[in-house]
Amino acid sequence: MAEPEPMEEATVREPLDLIRLSLDERIYVKLRGEREIRGRLHAYDQHLNMILGDVEETMTTVEIDDETYEEIIKTQKRTIPFLFVRGDGVILISPPLRS
Amino acid sequence: MLFYSYFKTLVGKEVTVELKNDLAITGVLHSVDQYLNIKLTSTRVVDEAKYPHMMSVRNCFIRGSVVRYVHLPPGSVDVEILHDATRREAKGG
Amino acid sequence: MADHKAQGSGLVNMVDSVIAVITNDGRHIVGVLRGYDQATNLVLEDSHERVYSTKSGVDVVALGLYVIRGDNVAMVGEIDEETDASLDLQSIRAAPLKPIMHG
Repeated sequence: MAEPEPMEEATVREPLDLIRLSLDERIYVKLRGEREIRGRLHAYDQHLNMILGDVEETMTTVEIDDETYEEIIKTQKRTIPFLFVRGDGVILISPPLRS
Repeated sequence: MLFYSYFKTLVGKEVTVELKNDLAITGVLHSVDQYLNIKLTSTRVVDEAKYPHMMSVRNCFIRGSVVRYVHLPPGSVDVEILHDATRREAKGG
Repeated sequence: MADHKAQGSGLVNMVDSVIAVITNDGRHIVGVLRGYDQATNLVLEDSHERVYSTKSGVDVVALGLYVIRGDNVAMVGEIDEETDASLDLQSIRAAPLKPIMHG
């Protein structure tokens, strides 16, 4: 980062450029295993390994009621201050909404 | 190399590694390699009542490919350094 | 490689020790580590599997000499033999470990 070039910084040529523009912003990440994460993006690499801060993870589980066979959808939430997420579990990343 | 370098700075700190089989292990980060394989010392399983399998294990090697998350110690995350390193890596390809 | 060795991030310190291996399909195998390579392929001697159940104690199944392919290794733990000997495997009730879910 010797000379920051605003023009180059803002150019979106490939998918990962969109993620670069989300550095230090809150992003949404959908992961395998019915997990979703919201957190501030602090680092990533080409595998989509990431470090996120102020993370809220939501886990969704579906249970079948023994008697009615109804699907009971349960969500569990937890917060984690700093989290490394391995990229191979990432399904999609959604950058923050820009107005 | 970004995360390999970053994890090397965490050696000696306590982390919790969550595996893709839901097992979570807390321990002192002993070492990491280029595959992000992780070695922990002074390990304990987070939910030992549910997972008594590892009761006699004190040190362990975790294959990078089975890691889901690593919970990082807040005091050792310098976000500015991470941002700069990430931008450098993004430029380098 | 030099870096690898200097850091001791491999399994070098565990050779000839009793180790526990968790495989990707959730099995728990205990044995003496006789060798390994870069791909985490393992050679285990005098190995046995510990089969967990919520209804009865741990079932110990003798396996003998095993080569475990690295791709199927999730975790390798160095066992404290004194602690391990003090465990009453018959009194432990636990569900088997889940398989590694990549999906």
